[in-house]
Amino acid sequence: MQGDLAEHRLTPKEELDLKNKRTGLAIFQVSWIMVFFCLMFVHWQIRIQSPDWPPPGVEKLGVVVPSAMTLALIASSLLARRAYRALRAGQIETFLWNWRMTIALGAAFVLVMAFEWLTIPISGQYSNLFRVLVGFHGVHAVVIGALLVRVYRSAMRGAYNSGSFWPVEGAAGLWYFVTIAWILFYAVLYWS
Amino acid sequence: MASISVPVGGAPSQSAPRPRLRVSDYLRWSVDHKIIGVQYMVTAAFFFIVGGTLAMLIRWELLTPNLDVVQTGAQYNSLFSAHGLVMIFLWIIPMMAGFGNYLLPLMLGAKDMAFPWLNAFAFWLIPPAGILMIGSMLVGAPEAGWTMYPPLSTLFSGDGQTLAALSVHLLGISSILGAINFLVTVKNMRPAGMSYWQMPLFVWAIVATSIIVVMATPFLAGALTLLILDRIAGTTFFDATKGGDVLLWQNVFWFYSHPAVYIMVLPGMGILSDVLSVHSRKPIFGYKMIALSSMAIGIVGFTVWAHHMFTSLQPEMRIPFMITSMIIAVPTGIKIFSWLGTLWRGKIRFTSAMLFSLGFLSMFVIGGITGVMLAMIPFNLHVHDTYFVVAHLHFVLFGGSVFAIYSGVYHWFPKITGRLLDERLGKLHFALTYIGFFFTFFPMHFAGMLGMPRRVAVYMPEFQGLNATASIGSFVLGISTFLLIYNVIASLRGGRLAGANPWRALTLEWATTSPPPATNFVGEPVMFEDPYGYGTEGAAAYLDAIERQFGAPPQALAADKPASPAAQGASGD
Repeated sequence: MQGDLAEHRLTPKEELDLKNKRTGLAIFQVSWIMVFFCLMFVHWQIRIQSPDWPPPGVEKLGVVVPSAMTLALIASSLLARRAYRALRAGQIETFLWNWRMTIALGAAFVLVMAFEWLTIPISGQYSNLFRVLVGFHGVHAVVIGALLVRVYRSAMRGAYNSGSFWPVEGAAGLWYFVTIAWILFYAVLYWS
Repeated sequence: MASISVPVGGAPSQSAPRPRLRVSDYLRWSVDHKIIGVQYMVTAAFFFIVGGTLAMLIRWELLTPNLDVVQTGAQYNSLFSAHGLVMIFLWIIPMMAGFGNYLLPLMLGAKDMAFPWLNAFAFWLIPPAGILMIGSMLVGAPEAGWTMYPPLSTLFSGDGQTLAALSVHLLGISSILGAINFLVTVKNMRPAGMSYWQMPLFVWAIVATSIIVVMATPFLAGALTLLILDRIAGTTFFDATKGGDVLLWQNVFWFYSHPAVYIMVLPGMGILSDVLSVHSRKPIFGYKMIALSSMAIGIVGFTVWAHHMFTSLQPEMRIPFMITSMIIAVPTGIKIFSWLGTLWRGKIRFTSAMLFSLGFLSMFVIGGITGVMLAMIPFNLHVHDTYFVVAHLHFVLFGGSVFAIYSGVYHWFPKITGRLLDERLGKLHFALTYIGFFFTFFPMHFAGMLGMPRRVAVYMPEFQGLNATASIGSFVLGISTFLLIYNVIASLRGGRLAGANPWRALTLEWATTSPPPATNFVGEPVMFEDPYGYGTEGAAAYLDAIERQFGAPPQALAADKPASPAAQGASGD
């Protein structure tokens, strides 16, 4: 509730600014997720061309490590949410701790998936599709992860408080996007 | 701000000096939407000339059935590929974005777009994309047409294909950023008294367009990413010999590119809705139906893509796409009849802007009807990849979009520069464009139905009569463009001053000086309750008050009949 009170203290211009950013971020999320749907469609179209999937002689990907990493990513998103709420409530220490954990889990996800990407046996379409999907998602995870780090560094300098929080909210919103996009790919790559 | 009928401002105009335009402002980074809008338009116009030059070369080549301008078929391939790519991605789409950028905040009474910096960034992606596109012609030009079908675009085309794909990728991202900006601006920055149903129809059209852009363009981004990977990274997504699928490209590409057709034409329809109402001094007929039909086109547009693939699709998939393709003619028809209803018994002023809008109406109907013909499977199979398709798409994209752009240029040039374009030259421009356009593209219907394939430099001698007619028509069309360029330059150097509202229009962009000041409006703009309420006493009083506040058009203009909008407007509100 405290956060909402802080929002009420905004000038009309700041209020409009914040509203614009929130709308813009929401539209971006809905829009850019379509690229991931496009790649899902590509995956589906190519695999129905193939009589067997994975193609004969190609080993199916193991699900244990990626599943653990998926959980890590989801957890990091939830922590980002908690961090944002703590910031809005004025609990800077809780915010920083949660944000750190978000970054740590995100980094673990990126590193492990990068290892998977590098070590998958080359096998034509099967590995190509894996590499394109995971690579495409990975680029987003790295760029937006870097943004999380940048926000963290600003936060350490005391740039944010319960009344000044947009960079945190925006970065968290983008990180949710990374998570949801990954869940789509995870389902397609490992469970279909 | 409440919407009242008559603005209070009674102070004479002398207090509001006309802002001066400086060329240097347009050559550098600026976050002012008016400057960005003009940057979009001028950049697009440059590429229009590039694409037009390529078109002239194409038509010159096709004057005779043999190779004469180009030495090889491959060179001809690169000519029409570059022509299509430039015209679609660097002319029509950025030009429409230019109109949107310039007009949207003004029409909404806002000071700027929601994200001025992002707006500038979206524009500045275009020049590098343009350089990539022109560069692509120099390093082994793309030869696969603007549709870039594999395996032509993966196994056969030159290195330029990769650059062209990168260029389109950049332009797509620019489009998406621009569209997000438009949507946020419309949702959040309308003045307090303006409901969605009081927005000008151009704004509605931009909303529908932007929804298509944000939902469809990411598919293009995905498809181009795979195409580029196939070309440079050794993947084989589109190589059927290695487990890939060429139809995959067609599906994904058209899932973007058919909606993209509406990205190109919906803003034009928005321009038309404004111009027709203003210049026939009548309320728009069926405001809500026009607004909603834009949305309907946007939505149904996502369900028709496979009609581009009737010859390659599984036969059982054809019927559903035939049906949806025919359904999309319904909202378009609603618009056409609404525009006719607007014109009906109006006090029509045949200004250049109006003439081009009427030109759109007539030519777009032809393009629409051939569209329904093409949606019919048996007919489609017969004329697939023939000149009939070329005729259809040019009737829609030139007879539609470009006529609307011309109409918008004549209509809003006075607002942008403060000076009117010469009406006599404008009418000559219209006559030449209309005649040149018709004789360029109408004969192509016949050539197509007789079986002349598209994208060939050498054709059977019996088609020469039709092709020579088309080529001569196209040269007229090419020459007509110079009239507009001359008109613009002459007007900038010493055209007649326009005043704030030369056409006596009711939408908010006219309720400020021409060109508008940096903050768009001095004080809060006062809107009229109905943006198309022409012909009422309230409207006349509102427009008189605008003139009192910002100054009437100069006397010279009012005396000049019958082209004078102000003189007629005064009696015709």
